[in-house]
Order: sequence, then C-alpha cells, then structure tokens
Amino acid sequence: MNFKAVLLGLFCIQLSFVSFAQNDTIELQKVDENKKKYKGRFYGGIESNIQYYLEDSGLESAIVPEDQFRSNNYLYANYNYNRWTAGMQVEAYEQNALLNYNPKFEGTNLGIYFLNYKDEKWDITLGHFYEQFGNGLILRAWEDRALGINSALRGGRVKFAPNYNMEFTALYGRQRSGFGVTAGDIFGFDADFFLAEYLNLYEKNQDLTIGFSYVGRYESLSNYPQLQNPEFDDLTNAFSFRADYMCGAFYAVAEANYKSKDGILDVQNLLSDQSARTGNAVTVNFGYSKSRLGLDVNLRRMENMGFYSQREPEVFTNFEGEPQNSFDYLDTFINFTPALTKQHHSLLANIYVFQAQHSVLFEDPQVMRAGETGGQIDFFYKFKKGTFLGGKHGTHIFLNYSNWYNLPGRYTFNPPDFDVDFFGRGNRYFSDYSIEIKKKLDETWHLGFNYINQYYDQRLLGGGDLVRADIVTAEATYSFDRKRSLRFELEKMWAVGDRQDWFGGSIEYNFNENLSVYFWDIWNYGSDKPEERVHYVNVGGAYRVGAYRVAVNYGRQRGGLVCVGGVCRFVPESSGLTINFNTSF
Amino acid sequence: MKFLVALIFIFSITFAHAQDELPSITIKNLKNKPINIKNQFAEKDKVYVFSFWATWCAPCISELEAISEYYEDWSEELNMELIAISTDDSRTQRRVRPMLNGKDWPYEVLLDGNQELKRALSIVNIPYSIVVKNQKIEHIFNGYTQGAEHELYEVIKGL
Repeated sequence: MNFKAVLLGLFCIQLSFVSFAQNDTIELQKVDENKKKYKGRFYGGIESNIQYYLEDSGLESAIVPEDQFRSNNYLYANYNYNRWTAGMQVEAYEQNALLNYNPKFEGTNLGIYFLNYKDEKWDITLGHFYEQFGNGLILRAWEDRALGINSALRGGRVKFAPNYNMEFTALYGRQRSGFGVTAGDIFGFDADFFLAEYLNLYEKNQDLTIGFSYVGRYESLSNYPQLQNPEFDDLTNAFSFRADYMCGAFYAVAEANYKSKDGILDVQNLLSDQSARTGNAVTVNFGYSKSRLGLDVNLRRMENMGFYSQREPEVFTNFEGEPQNSFDYLDTFINFTPALTKQHHSLLANIYVFQAQHSVLFEDPQVMRAGETGGQIDFFYKFKKGTFLGGKHGTHIFLNYSNWYNLPGRYTFNPPDFDVDFFGRGNRYFSDYSIEIKKKLDETWHLGFNYINQYYDQRLLGGGDLVRADIVTAEATYSFDRKRSLRFELEKMWAVGDRQDWFGGSIEYNFNENLSVYFWDIWNYGSDKPEERVHYVNVGGAYRVGAYRVAVNYGRQRGGLVCVGGVCRFVPESSGLTINFNTSF
Repeated sequence: MKFLVALIFIFSITFAHAQDELPSITIKNLKNKPINIKNQFAEKDKVYVFSFWATWCAPCISELEAISEYYEDWSEELNMELIAISTDDSRTQRRVRPMLNGKDWPYEVLLDGNQELKRALSIVNIPYSIVVKNQKIEHIFNGYTQGAEHELYEVIKGL
C-alpha cells in the first residue's frame, strides 16, 4: 500500500467523520422531538510520537540517524452498530520509525483490522485480536506502542460463556510481525470455571476458580534446510493449568505450564537436529491482606520457556551497521514472561533493570543458563492516623524484596547440555531490596523517601561487570494552593562496577491541572571514563485538556533499556526534541 | 511535509467528534466476577468516576490517595462512586489486592489485565479518569497533578 493510497483512504474516513459530526448536530435538534434514530457509534483514538534527532557535541555516543525527523503515529478507529463492531488501526512510521524500533515497522499501512460480533454468550472476532491465557506464560497477544510490541493474532477467535460461571475461548491465527505475519500457525483453547457458586463457597467467604489452556504452534521444519533428522516435530504443544483460591483475607494462586519438545537455538540463533528440550514454568503466589496491611509472595521457576511464532528470528542490520534480530525488538514472542521485580519510578533505579531469563543460552563455558528461579515479596503497611508514626494523615510504608537465580544443576558446553534440579538456585542474576516511605504532612507538604539496594550480574546478563548499587531518593511536593504545586526530587546512586556513581535531580511545576513543566538531570560523575561523565539533561512540559494531551521534551536520552511494565526495549543514546500527542474520539 | 499535512488533517477530525458513550466491555473484579462496564454502572443520575491506574504508576497512586482522603465526604454529599481500573498485567497484578488494603482505599477495583477497556477508550497514558453520568462520558482527566482532585469534585458537583 503506498502512501498516497493511505492518505486518500484517510481523507475518505475524514469525510465520513465530518458527515457524522453534522448528523450528530442535526440529531441533537431532533432529540427534542424524541425521535432519535440509532446510527451506531464511532470511536477511537490517535497517538503521535515525533522525534527530531540532533547533533550534540557534549554527548559523543549520541546517534544522529540519516533521517533526523522520525515519527510513530497510530490512528485507531472503530464503528459499532448494535452487536457488531468493525475496527482498524492505521500506523505511520514516517520518515522511518523512532530509533531502535523494529525495522519491519516501515512506512504507512494498515496494521490491525477486525470484525466482531458480541452478545451475552458469544464473542466472535475475525481479523486481528489480542488475547491472554492465564498469566500469559504460554500465550499473550498484546500491544505496547512505547515498546514497539504488537503481537496481535490475525485469524479468528470465538469466546463462549454459557453462563456466568464458565467461559471458553478457541482461536486460530498467525502472529503479526511488522505489517505482515510470521510463518507459524497458532491454535489455542482456554477454559475458565468459577466454582464458588457450585460449591457454595461465597457463604463461607471463599472463592475458587480453575482454568486450563492449550496453545499449539505449527511451523513446518522444511523452512529450515539445515535440519536433516530433527529430534522435534513441526507442531509444538503447550499446556497450562491454574487455580485461584481465596479465603477471607488470605489468597493463593498457582499455575503450571508445560511446553513439548522443541528445538533450542544456539548462540547464533540457529536450530540444529539434536538440540531439543521440553520446557516448563511454575508460579505460586499467595498473600494476606486486610485493612492497612498487605503481604504478597510470588515465586516462579521457568525452564526453557522461549516460545516463538517463528522458531529462528529474522536478522537485520541496524542503523549502526550492527546485526540485530527479531528478539531484540521483542518480535515473534508468543508468550509473556515479565520480570517479577518492583518497577521503581526513580530515574537512577531504572538503570540496572532485570529482564526475565526465560530461555536456554549457551554463550561460553562461563555463561550457560536454562531459565530462572526466584521470587519476590511485597509488604504494605499504613500507620494509622493519630498514632506516633502515623501523624495527622497516616504514613505509608512499602517493602519489596526480589531475588532471581539461574537454575541449579550440571551444564556442559560442548555439546551443549544441561541437567537441572527443580529446587535450589544457581548463580544469582539479580536482587533488589527496597523500602519506600510516603507521608502527607499537611495540606501543603507531601514527602517521599526511597532506599534501594541492587545486585545486577552483567556477566550473566548480556556482558559487562557485576554491579552492586545503593540508591537513595528523597522527594517533596509543595502545594501553593489548590491548583499550583512544585515537586522536587534528589537521587544519589553509589555503584561498584560499570559506570559507577550517579547523581540526579528533578523539579516539576504544575500551574494547574492542565499545564506542567519540568527539568531533570542525571549526572554520571563517578565514571572512570571521562567521556561518560556527562549530564543527561532534559526539559519539557505537558498540556492536557479533556482527552487531549501534548507533551514536549528537549534533551538527552541515556542509552539503555526503556521499560514498561517489566518488559524492556533497548534504546541508543541520542539527543533531540520529542513531541507526543494523543487523544480519543 | 505531505505526512505532516495528513497528520494535522487527522487531528482536526477529533475536534468534530468526542467519544461520549461507554463501551460495552466486560472485565473482572478482584473476586474474578465478570463486570460489564456499561450495564453495571447505570444507576440513574449517579456519577461514576472510572480511574485508570497501575501499582507501578506513581502519579496514579497519588491521585487515588488524594481522593481517598475526601472520599467519605464526597460519597455522602454527592451521589457518586469511584471505580479504580487497574491496568496492571500479570507482572504486577498480584500486587493490586495487598496494595488496595495496605493503603486502606475504599474503592471497587476492576482488573483490565490485557488492557481491553483501556484500548477501547484509546487511553495512552495513565492516570486517566473519566466521569460518567447516565452512561454518558461527561468529562475526561488525562493525567493528574497535585490538587486536581478539587477540580474533579467541582466537575462531579456540577453534573
């Protein structure tokens, strides 16, 4: 589809919008006559992220691409008429997508389209759809524009709920990649049973739900000429069982997942005849919570759970001439294996971010891994108003503790093989201990304090040093009146390894609920390398009214991981002007 | 340039049309029960505030915390209810229940784990709140700054 055709298409849509709007006005007049005719409903949204990359003499490593002006734009539009909905998403990456987005997002084209029928029992979709089974450990088709993820399935899905106590889903599709789809056929089935009513559990203040899922991925092995006599089949099957139980203030959730024997990629991301294993993942979560107190424990063990809609990734050359592949852009992932760690909001606590290690990797005799095992504990407590620690408005305290390890067992490098234990732990990848205190002093002052200790072993996680870091942050918000407020935050990181010590600060002024401006800087003053001792300075603002929001930022982007909800995308260092716009209609 | 013209063109249409109806989407509450957004919050003349948040979103927590301070007074004085819609996915969804209790928030919480409702309303950033009366979207707050809860109160009162 060329650009002009799309523009023409959008023009036609615009015409229809305008006529809609006019019809609406005419209709409004008719309301008085009480004869409003149902014309269906038109809705959707627009998002635009524009960046202009600039030369920056103060930031040696900054990338200035050939097309300095780049933007990612999305128009999502739906028309609903009674039980029917038709929708589409046009995406425009002009001129080219923002740096380090999947190169398959190129130009302007139709990204998503679907037709849906929905009544009380049935929900049927043809075209693209998003879906998640259970925790997503065997299937999650979703979108995250900030991460450049759109793993919608293109095919058909039927959901059937005969009553409120059960729900079934069956689907078939191919996974979206760029503006096309990958080679694998995905089949799925999911069933959920809400048992509380049948077992009369509500009377006892209990609740029980169980679920089962199946996902099949069929990809012909004839796509891989190097395979002569593979030890695995074209079809890979994945199963999942889960149970969710609640009793008063106590709850427990368990999920077990199994993936049948499938080829394992070597360090060059290629399949071979002999290299094949089954995979599995187990998660257990339980907790206790009542008024002013919450405790949550989450444990997970994953072994060889890489699951892709196309077994070998596509290889690309990025703007710096370096090889990259689909996995670097989080493309072709069928399942969702987020890191179970706390997502911090301070700038410096987001430098060493752990990503879950779901797959098998034999990089060299020192770096051999088969998955991950570990857990996370969260604790929330509110000191009551009027007590010594609670003060006039109460005090909130949160503790988080997470620890992640390689699977323990015996690993041999040549030929690559492993024999791992179910219990126990191998080398530590990552740990994070943190305490956060939030306090409202009075109507004008809100205070916050954080201490975070991190351990991040880059030797096992993509290369580099072992990093140990301590981070302290303090923030305060002062309200001048009911509209105007000033927020400032100071951050300090003491780190051993990698780029060492950092200092950061931010200041934000809110004129009212519509307009805010900010300035922030993080400074890597402690680095051994003089060229790394730079300030990443940013200044910007946001204006919002109703559904509209416009944000402008000018400054330096630190190279590294940009994370949303525990999934991260690598971005290179750059400098420039960013404009974000979004609205809904 | 052509592209920018197209972009401006598309933006212009949104001025002519604002979404005013709630989508008929069913998501689950903390007890795993399916709740239809359109049909189950339909009491005549009652004002519903749907506030989209996540356990990892600091301004969202500030907003819900600020509103919780006044919530008792508001719900006595005005015929209103706030529904906190968590957009946490499976990474952080387990933290919703203990956080809700740990913070002692009085809200009903619904889970939009795969962001079906968020997508239907074309929400890009959270916090994001919509004020609904008689199944019509009357007002949208795209973001939160300290003190904006007073504006929310005025909006609800004015409806």
